[in-house]
Amino acid sequence: MTTPTNTVADAAATRKRRMSRILGLGLLPILLVTLFVVLGLIEPRFLRSANLINILRNASFLMLIASGQMLVLIIGGFDLSVGAVVALTSVATALSMTGLVSVFPEAQLFVVLLGVMAGLAAGSMIGVVNGLTVAFMKVSPFMVTLGTLSIASGIALYATQGVPVYGMPDEFTREFGRLRYLNLPVVIYVTFGVLVALWWVMNWTRLGRYIYAIGSNAHAARVSGVSTTFYIVVTYTLCSFLAALTGILLTARIGSGEATLGGTLMLESIAAAVIGGVSLRGGVGRVELVALGALFLALVTNAMNLVRVDSKLQTIVIGVVIIVAVGIERFKSRGKIR
Amino acid sequence: MSASVDGPDLSASRSHVWFFGFFAKYGFLPVILIALYVGFGLVEPAFFSGANALNIIKQSSYLIVLATAQMFVLLTRGFDLSLGMVVSMVSVASSLVMAGIAPNGEGPVIIALLAGVFAAVAIGAMAGAVNGICVAYFDINPFVVTMGMQGIAFGLATTLSGGFPVLDIPVLLNKGLAQGAWFGVIPPPVAVCLIILAASYFVLNRTVFGRSLYLLGANSRATEVGGIPWRRYNMLAYVICSSIAAIGAILITARAGTGEPSLGGGLVLQSIAAAVIGGVALRGGEGRVIHVVLGGLLVTVLSIGMNLTRVDGFLQEIVLGLVVVGAVFLDRLRLKIRL
Repeated sequence: MTTPTNTVADAAATRKRRMSRILGLGLLPILLVTLFVVLGLIEPRFLRSANLINILRNASFLMLIASGQMLVLIIGGFDLSVGAVVALTSVATALSMTGLVSVFPEAQLFVVLLGVMAGLAAGSMIGVVNGLTVAFMKVSPFMVTLGTLSIASGIALYATQGVPVYGMPDEFTREFGRLRYLNLPVVIYVTFGVLVALWWVMNWTRLGRYIYAIGSNAHAARVSGVSTTFYIVVTYTLCSFLAALTGILLTARIGSGEATLGGTLMLESIAAAVIGGVSLRGGVGRVELVALGALFLALVTNAMNLVRVDSKLQTIVIGVVIIVAVGIERFKSRGKIR
Repeated sequence: MSASVDGPDLSASRSHVWFFGFFAKYGFLPVILIALYVGFGLVEPAFFSGANALNIIKQSSYLIVLATAQMFVLLTRGFDLSLGMVVSMVSVASSLVMAGIAPNGEGPVIIALLAGVFAAVAIGAMAGAVNGICVAYFDINPFVVTMGMQGIAFGLATTLSGGFPVLDIPVLLNKGLAQGAWFGVIPPPVAVCLIILAASYFVLNRTVFGRSLYLLGANSRATEVGGIPWRRYNMLAYVICSSIAAIGAILITARAGTGEPSLGGGLVLQSIAAAVIGGVALRGGEGRVIHVVLGGLLVTVLSIGMNLTRVDGFLQEIVLGLVVVGAVFLDRLRLKIRL
């Protein structure tokens, strides 16, 4: 028999819990909404559906690659090679498709499928190498991925000699690259699916829990019987797989294989993850916040384009935004500890 | 008789100790360096020429200066990703100062050069101070801070120059700081590099500040407990890093003869790679001047050697990547030998 006062107390408790959950998301959502409203007021073109879709699409690419980066950051690592993996995937996909098209001119769908698989495999290979080197040699992930960054982009450039690769089947560049469903580009659906899957993995599966555990205290995880080497390899491979997926989607969109694709994505992915509250020390991070961080970066960039901020000044603004965002986060967490 | 039997045995074990001691101290780098030098020389005899040896020393001095800068920050368990873009920014800004006072070398050239160098170091120190304050006093992760600073410095460099090289700087800069030789023997970049190395050696080994940097990287809690003003020292490390990078920027500007906004693109990763290949630890608290010199030499020998043997430019990138991973692996091995 619950007395009325009890239910009131219960309701208050639930409200409090709900509030703390909203506050737990941090300042980012509030900042996003404010930015959105202010931009809508000062620049009506911002709210046009074409522009909003554009923002979402740009954010999607970043979300994909940043959520991969997040996995590696949570496990206490680092992946500098994601940008180079995007380039390598783009080149591998384009080269294998153009090669296969001359062999099977009839079966375009088959060619596209094989090309996508070749791209994903090439990209994921880099992740396997990263993971194995980090896990077994216990080498600093920064240096390992710096090395594979150089190797992957070197391979991509060497294979193409720096020239874009054209001649992929129309099925890929036209049909898939510009495919829309309910007026939204297919990239957005893919990203949404990946994010939901990652959210599930991180919160409800053993893999997710182990990734957090290894990131918080690798020694404790190993002592309690977690095969840390295995999970580290899996995490780096997942990260590179997501980068490879981004590479394929980007290649489909621009319609050619480019060895210079994704040059800025490495820093942007780390920035998005860190703005989304992922700790560079490992063990902390949530997919939904990383997605918001990517959205935030895309929004700021789009806003500066709309109000015609010089592209040179934009890099300054982004730099300041990154430092300030992390500074605020840092300031908040300091208050929490005391 | 017995003594003569014991003798070689003893010396063998002593040389064994010496052998491992040498590796534990310097790593495998000197051996690899010599092997590479001989290897390239056998493939391409021109590599052995005196002119080439001079060229290697000259070219590596630029990288060694930047890697020394990076080392100060690496010692504190930090990073400076903004180094390359600070080089770009300083190059453009100091060129603008010099070109403003003495366009095309007409006017008070000496004053222009001095003002340019002063502006370079001042701007570098300022960028370093911003990095250092954010890292040391606001406790923001160095990776994030210097990544942000990289964007800021790149933006400033391109905005200041409008994206074009600054052409009308005095020719004397190129003549005095890149070509010829000081006192008839020593090329200017090598001389500047040696001065910076000597100063760094002194600061790191003979001052409280320098020793504190090692402690800060190895055990930051200990510095705090030990009553060392670690926040100030940590900040100073970034200031010194960017100031040395600014001097490097002047040298590179002198070599190019123009102020280039695109100068620093690959320099960050190269400087970190050179320092770490040499044996400066990314986990902080470990690294000496000799390491940086060896690392810088290795990267330069490799790149000049591959150029002379006409290795494809894109392949060179792959090789450099393999070398970075291999070097870090060997560094682990060195740690194991020592333990």
